[in-house]
Amino acid sequence: MTLNLPDPLAALGIKKLDRRRFLGLAGLGAGAMALAACGGPETAPPSTPAAGGAAGSGAAGSSGAAAGSGTDWAGVKPATSITFWTNHPGSSEDVEKAIIADFNANNPDKIQVKMVTAGSNYEEVAQKFQTAQSGGGLPDLVIFSDVWWFRYYMQKSILKLDDLLTAVELDTSAYRESLVKDYQYADGQWAIPYARSTPLFYYNKEHWSKAGLEDRAPKTWDEFAEWAPKLAAAGLGTQHVYQLPALADYAGWAFQNNLWGWGGGWSKEWDITCDSAESVAALQFLQDSVYKDKWSGVSSKAATDDLAAGAVSATVGSTGSLVGVQKTAKFDVGVGFLPGGPKVDKPVCPTGGAGLGIPIDIAPENQKAAALFLKFLTNAENTVKFSAATGYMPVQTDADTSALVKANPLVQTAIDQLAVTRPQDNARVFIPGADQEMAKSCATILTSQGSVQDTMTALKATLTKIYNSEVKPNL
Amino acid sequence: MGATVTDRTGVPAAGPTKPKRLRRGFTARDRRDFPIFLILALPNILLIMAFIYRPLITNIYYSTLNWTLGSKYATPIGLGNYREFFTDPDSLGVLKTTAIFTVATVGGSMVLGLMLATVLNRPLRGRTLARATVFAPYVLSGVGIGLVWVFIFDPVVGVLGAVLRAMGGTSPEWFNKPGLSLVMVIIVYVWKNTGYCAVIYLAAMQAVPKDLLEAASIDGASSFRTFRSVVLPLLSPTTFFLLLTTMLSSLQAFDLIRIMTPLGNGTTTLMYDAYLQAFGGYNRAGYSAAVATILFAILLVMTVVQLSFIERKVHYA
Repeated sequence: MTLNLPDPLAALGIKKLDRRRFLGLAGLGAGAMALAACGGPETAPPSTPAAGGAAGSGAAGSSGAAAGSGTDWAGVKPATSITFWTNHPGSSEDVEKAIIADFNANNPDKIQVKMVTAGSNYEEVAQKFQTAQSGGGLPDLVIFSDVWWFRYYMQKSILKLDDLLTAVELDTSAYRESLVKDYQYADGQWAIPYARSTPLFYYNKEHWSKAGLEDRAPKTWDEFAEWAPKLAAAGLGTQHVYQLPALADYAGWAFQNNLWGWGGGWSKEWDITCDSAESVAALQFLQDSVYKDKWSGVSSKAATDDLAAGAVSATVGSTGSLVGVQKTAKFDVGVGFLPGGPKVDKPVCPTGGAGLGIPIDIAPENQKAAALFLKFLTNAENTVKFSAATGYMPVQTDADTSALVKANPLVQTAIDQLAVTRPQDNARVFIPGADQEMAKSCATILTSQGSVQDTMTALKATLTKIYNSEVKPNL
Repeated sequence: MGATVTDRTGVPAAGPTKPKRLRRGFTARDRRDFPIFLILALPNILLIMAFIYRPLITNIYYSTLNWTLGSKYATPIGLGNYREFFTDPDSLGVLKTTAIFTVATVGGSMVLGLMLATVLNRPLRGRTLARATVFAPYVLSGVGIGLVWVFIFDPVVGVLGAVLRAMGGTSPEWFNKPGLSLVMVIIVYVWKNTGYCAVIYLAAMQAVPKDLLEAASIDGASSFRTFRSVVLPLLSPTTFFLLLTTMLSSLQAFDLIRIMTPLGNGTTTLMYDAYLQAFGGYNRAGYSAAVATILFAILLVMTVVQLSFIERKVHYA
């Protein structure tokens, strides 16, 4: 039997396909598919428990730590060599190195920690960690941001820490409650706070002075809207009075402040509320500040850099940028709590930043060594060291911040603001890809002058679809 | 008297003068050389199988799964990911962006490369330095180039913005407006790849027979007419080669897009969509594999079409 093939196959050098060649190719294809099926994820037909919805992430409500639970940690001898994956948040490479050197030299179990720069930001670390789940080479301790840990929980990638923390005598009550609670779910503790931050209101004190304003942050956004024309009229040579933070990194996080102040939010529990009248009003205020009142611009890269360069008079940025801004700016930097809105003045500040977790698929010896290092890395002394170098929050309540505040009084504002923080909306931190979708929607509103209501309606549909397919089956 | 040659079927060969042949044209010499062929080719074949075809086939297999990157489990869904891609309204935007980016970068690189090559082919002072300068961006790291151009385009602290403000203008919102983001990435991509096209064209121009140019000159042809009627047709094999390689390269462009517009706002090509779906926060490894497979199919079809049809128009000297 001879099959006449069309020209494209001939162009690939396949002149004719007889029975023998056909069978040969079929065998090769079957072999290749069998080879392809080796490695990668285990497959299960839809609706079986192992498949677990979109991600196939396990039975509802199960502790994602099946392998870790039940381990007799007292009988586990810590490994002598572990790896720590970090992106050095807040330019913390030097202080992380110093803390690790201290641990390597002094811990009684002779554990040696090797620090690995696993990316330049949380997303790159997450990519590497997710890939290592399939490809191997997992770290023993890994940093992850507020939008990643729940995904790892759903994927059964991280260890439920409760028993292990007890075994290494790490007392979670020593940490700031609001920060440690961010990583609690299904009766488990899944991470420990490390590089934790909140957004802060940054302003140029010299500009404030020239505009005749009080040396303080505005209490509400309405108050700032009244100040903005004074700043604009002061002849400061700025490009904008206020710089909205770069949308790719900050929209989903920082704009919760505006949404909450207007009585809205991305979601209430699992109910997506980004299209509510309150939420739309909050985002309309931001759009008007850009297009109608023209006192805002949108940062392309880093709004705090724009402020430090003197290009704008005020912005909102992470506390983790504080030390960097102070080093770069050639003027007195002022900071204050995030402004409130017309309906809610506090709490309107979300927590954020990163925590540390331990992979589930590594040896118990490595997990225990990682927990011992985690305890050291975030203890009262080291969290202050880390804060001094970066501007992130000291995560322990009994950390002595007096020297820190004396050296840098602005840190006190950031610490004080912790008392009026609010857990982030589920939609942002628990729905995969929601942060990116929020950023895209905010870009439509703030850089393309898209309809706020239409954009938020579309966002709600997108988030609801992702929630139903990828989150709900795993709750 | 020559020996009667029969093949394995026992049918006599057509005549005594024909070489000794086995089935399917395999000669005795071929059979003798086959072990050497295996020794030389097998390592490469195995490497290609392991690092090209196995990942390719594995990717096609993953495209039939509903699999979240990092998860140990996946659900087979057949063609579900493909169905979603071809019914999702966003996919049209991705295909449109891919088409605009490819046409603009291939066209831009080739036209500018041809123009530069024409200039560099003249006996100018400092020609060697100019050639090296033109080619330099092509060999530089895309990541490094991306970072430098991000600084240049930054509307607030960037060089371009400062120049525009000094001239009384304002900087466009390169990073915030989707359309401008695409233009920005195209500009940088063309800048990076023009040197490659210029050098290839230059080499081809220098191979144009001088007697043809002299004949054209004697016939009174102008420079433009000589270029259009003599040089350009002789460059057609080079044009075909560049069209093929730059198109494949543009369709697979990643580094500049990733560095300059990490969110892919306005710059999400098929290649970048495959990345974003798996690593950009969604973790949809199965869907990403489907997008990558669709891109592979497009590349395959376009290559075959070019090889089959466009090459026929090429004039080889």
